[in-house]
Amino acid sequence: MSFKKIATVAGLALGSLVSAQSNAHHAFGAEFDAKAPLTLRGDVTRIEWVNPHAWFHIEVAKADGTKENWRIEGGTPNTLLRRGINKRSIAVGTEIVVDGYWAKDRSNSANGRNITLANGKKLFMGSSGTGAPEDGADKK
Amino acid sequence: MPPSKLLALSLLLTLAACSPSEQATQQVEQAESNAFKLSGDVKHIMQWVLDPAAFGVWGSAGSIITAAGTRELAPTTDDGWQAVEHSAAVVAASGNLLMMPGRAVDNEGWKNIAQGLVDAGLLAQAAAKNQDSDALFDAGAQIYRVCKACHSVYIRGDKAADSP
Repeated sequence: MSFKKIATVAGLALGSLVSAQSNAHHAFGAEFDAKAPLTLRGDVTRIEWVNPHAWFHIEVAKADGTKENWRIEGGTPNTLLRRGINKRSIAVGTEIVVDGYWAKDRSNSANGRNITLANGKKLFMGSSGTGAPEDGADKK
Repeated sequence: MPPSKLLALSLLLTLAACSPSEQATQQVEQAESNAFKLSGDVKHIMQWVLDPAAFGVWGSAGSIITAAGTRELAPTTDDGWQAVEHSAAVVAASGNLLMMPGRAVDNEGWKNIAQGLVDAGLLAQAAAKNQDSDALFDAGAQIYRVCKACHSVYIRGDKAADSP
């Protein structure tokens, strides 16, 4: 999905920000839609470095100028550590682009696959063996 | 000798007189006639026993980072640690609950994973008892590895009805 679609996705998004600690323990297919890939660009506002999944919250600017909060599910902290991502790798306030899959309930929640940092560096943030499409970076 | 001891002695003598195959048959019969009374299926254990306990462990280790700073999730009081120890003990006990007749889906695979859950729960229990937040975080990761190993084998499809 191109960045041009970011605003469309953001505009369609439902729900409000999730401030409470995320609470999910599930297979990919139980919560996320493999047929709804999306790309989100936003500033990191909150990182939950917790088991069973790390969560990255970002603030996405919509086309109309308003902002909305999204929460992005990552792999387990140990999985991320093995890929070189620790809880300090992405500072709060940093702009990132996330490629992932939208929640089935169409809330502002997604399963993250890749994070692209402002310098172009790409990090794989997902889990393997969860049933997510193309475990590992998605083929283009 | 008290009657209860006489009964136990006679049972031991009876068992000793049995061949291995007879003993196995007796164990099966004993399991079938034991006092277990299932209060729910595997989903029930997951939803009402294991999940809340596991999240009790997971929610008590790690960090929340915002612009305001970093908040560590580890308990800061003895009561808080005791609550985590309680959750961890329930996780460990859940492994045994999953092995009860009527819940176990197969023999070796199910048993190994369920025993792994007991071990992971006991790790978390020890970490909480020692008020060791790093060890608790690692034990939480171990609990999830067991969950994932089990789900990868025994969960079928995305609908709860498809699985045990």
